Amino acid sequence: MRRRFGAVQAVDGVDLELLPGEIHALVGENGAGKSTLAAIAYGAVRADEGTVEALGVVGLVHQHFKLIERLRVWENVLLNREPKRGWTIDVPAARARVLELAAKYGLAVDPDAVVETLPVGIKQRVELLRELDREPAVLLLDEPTAALAPSEIASFFETVRGLAARGTAVLVVTHKLAEVIAYSQRVTVMRAGAVVARHLTGETNADAIAREMVGGEVPALATRAATEPAVLLEAHGLSATSGTSALTDVTFAVRAGEIVGIAGIEGNGQSALADALAGIVPFTGELRLAGVVLRPDDSPAARLARGIRVIPQDRRREALVLDWDVCDNVVLGRQRTLPRAGYDAAAREVIERFDVRPPDPGAIVGMLSGGNQQKVVVGRLLSGAPKLVVAYQPTRGIDIGAAALVQSRLIEARNAGAGVLLISFELDEIFACADRVLVIAGGAFVGSFDRAAIDRGRIGALMAGGRA
Amino acid sequence: MPYAFVRGRAFRDIVIVLVLVFGVGSIAMLLAHVSPLVAFGALFDGAFGTREEVAETLVQATNLLFPALGIAVAFRAGLFNIGAEGQLILGGFAAGWLGAQLPLPWYLAIPMVLVAGALAGGVWGAIPGFLRARFGANEVIATLMLNVVAVLLATYLVNGPLALPGSGASETPSLPHAAQLPDLVADSRLTWAFPIALGLAFVLRWMLQRTVFGYELRAAGDAPEAAKRAGIDLRRTAFVAMALSGAIAGLGGATIVAGELHRFNTGLSPGYGFIAIAVALVGNLDPLWIIVASLAFGVLQSGGIAMQAEAGVPRDVVALVTGLVIIALAGRRVVAARRST
Repeated sequence: MRRRFGAVQAVDGVDLELLPGEIHALVGENGAGKSTLAAIAYGAVRADEGTVEALGVVGLVHQHFKLIERLRVWENVLLNREPKRGWTIDVPAARARVLELAAKYGLAVDPDAVVETLPVGIKQRVELLRELDREPAVLLLDEPTAALAPSEIASFFETVRGLAARGTAVLVVTHKLAEVIAYSQRVTVMRAGAVVARHLTGETNADAIAREMVGGEVPALATRAATEPAVLLEAHGLSATSGTSALTDVTFAVRAGEIVGIAGIEGNGQSALADALAGIVPFTGELRLAGVVLRPDDSPAARLARGIRVIPQDRRREALVLDWDVCDNVVLGRQRTLPRAGYDAAAREVIERFDVRPPDPGAIVGMLSGGNQQKVVVGRLLSGAPKLVVAYQPTRGIDIGAAALVQSRLIEARNAGAGVLLISFELDEIFACADRVLVIAGGAFVGSFDRAAIDRGRIGALMAGGRA
Repeated sequence: MPYAFVRGRAFRDIVIVLVLVFGVGSIAMLLAHVSPLVAFGALFDGAFGTREEVAETLVQATNLLFPALGIAVAFRAGLFNIGAEGQLILGGFAAGWLGAQLPLPWYLAIPMVLVAGALAGGVWGAIPGFLRARFGANEVIATLMLNVVAVLLATYLVNGPLALPGSGASETPSLPHAAQLPDLVADSRLTWAFPIALGLAFVLRWMLQRTVFGYELRAAGDAPEAAKRAGIDLRRTAFVAMALSGAIAGLGGATIVAGELHRFNTGLSPGYGFIAIAVALVGNLDPLWIIVASLAFGVLQSGGIAMQAEAGVPRDVVALVTGLVIIALAGRRVVAARRST
């Protein structure tokens, strides 16, 4: 397969063979071409060169669910394949078909539930059922466990094993190497659009695969210096709502010179926490920064002025002006304090400290890779000695090198005396960076662990416990 | 965001317009059994044939340039101001009403007349700006409807409370000579409004690109969520951008009254505020390219009259082409949005 997008050769001469009954892992960094390859195999993207042959229907479950939130489960599962009776949909037959399908694959769902009311794990079942209704010979799963709790991941792969046992060829596109090792029979590693390694999973290990993905050693993080933590942020009975995200009556503290990791599954109140601190949504309860009470209805500008910097989850929408160059993006938020003559120097400082490539203040941000975009965002928000840094999924979707750099700069900010709140859905990231871990589930904190006492199994169980 | 500003697109858009004008215009003419060569010949002759005709082309360009600049300011802030027509009319009314009763020397009268027009247009733009900032009301609908209100309000005022005794015309008394904008070309309607509009375009370009206010306005338009999180007050920006947008259109109305008509008349605009939407889009929302676009549309406007008179082609062909330009540019944006997903 070959496929080019503009100047990027996304997929560059890849051969891939899936066998009936196997679980095949396709791994690589963001931008390595995995998702494009899956989209080509599914038929959503046309290859410039190459052909796809399959012994039947090819199904694809997207990383970001493609469900119609306002419709019911059966309407989503049978969309465009509804059983008809003349001009109308045969609703009883449709419901029966979904129930039968659910029973056959052990994926319990309520066919009449409206999708938007369902938790993420169930939504994924719906997504999976929709593909299974087409009886695919080949099933492609793109980052299928991104939004699942550890316990849900295990049961999800049980289902996948069942499918493989029926003769389906399953391709799992992922960056979670632990799942590759635990559940796949074969693994294909991609880098920069090409296949760099193929293994029988039993004959390799996670470290070796990681090196193949990066094309060298995985960079080490900055070392943690000893700090003298004094209480910086105090929250008492904090509640907030942002969209569908709700935080209920939480009490916690962040000290200066400390990284507090918030571990949890997506959709358990993290957005409300980040937005309340950023001044995007009001809160109830009490919040103090360095002893000063924060007003519940402060504007984002007021929070910035207090030294609170929030690295948002969605950098393309919430942090960057994609049509602008690096220089103007670095200035964003400081345009009133920084004289125009200082723009270029500010941009060059961020470019140098964060190794932004290309090192050109005039480069249009929308044209940069995700990792370099994130370097611009983090560089901008960490400049000027912030007091409190809230990093919400700061390494989502960026390559391992850029992620290590971002995490190192967060650790350095901590070493320099900033308080850091690291909200992440990736436990590995939290364990690598945090001095203390708070577990969030159902909008409340359900556990607290010091770095020395981190217990992966218990944290995973607590994360899942708060789910409906 | 209704329409994104994209760097370096203006030149290509002006080529698109030329292709549409000549291509579709020719087809329409052939259907009407008129030779496109004769018709376009008449159009260009009408636009450039004599010194006075060139002057009239520049008059039309000026009258489009003011509202187009206003529309562009709102667009760059992410707001679709389709109320420039109403803002222009009320600006013209305020200028005519105040100008007619100013016994002042020119150096006071002219600035006051222009400021009155900008203020009236600014208020008319600030209303939807306020509704948007305070209640989140859609500015497209608000500005569209306020156009009708503006025309009816001005018509009521000149026929009712401010009616001329003994006159049946929907107009204000004429402006004293001191309140009139001086002519630039003798025996034409071309006045100092033209250089004022050009200067304004350069000022706006500087404001958008070089000032903190322009930076925040563009951020609010290009990436509202990121701008909000960077501490920019989106409500305030929306309000100020709409008020400024209306003020620029209102200033345009004032220059028509003080320069060309020397009185306010409810029929002062043949739809400049609407054609100006196309002008702003073709100029890629960049004030300097909008000057070029306004000149191109000025040619169509002034030449269109000659084309109708000499080649028998209805002036509506010009309106047809203007509509096609808007559809083409809006359609291109839909295509671009689909590709990016």
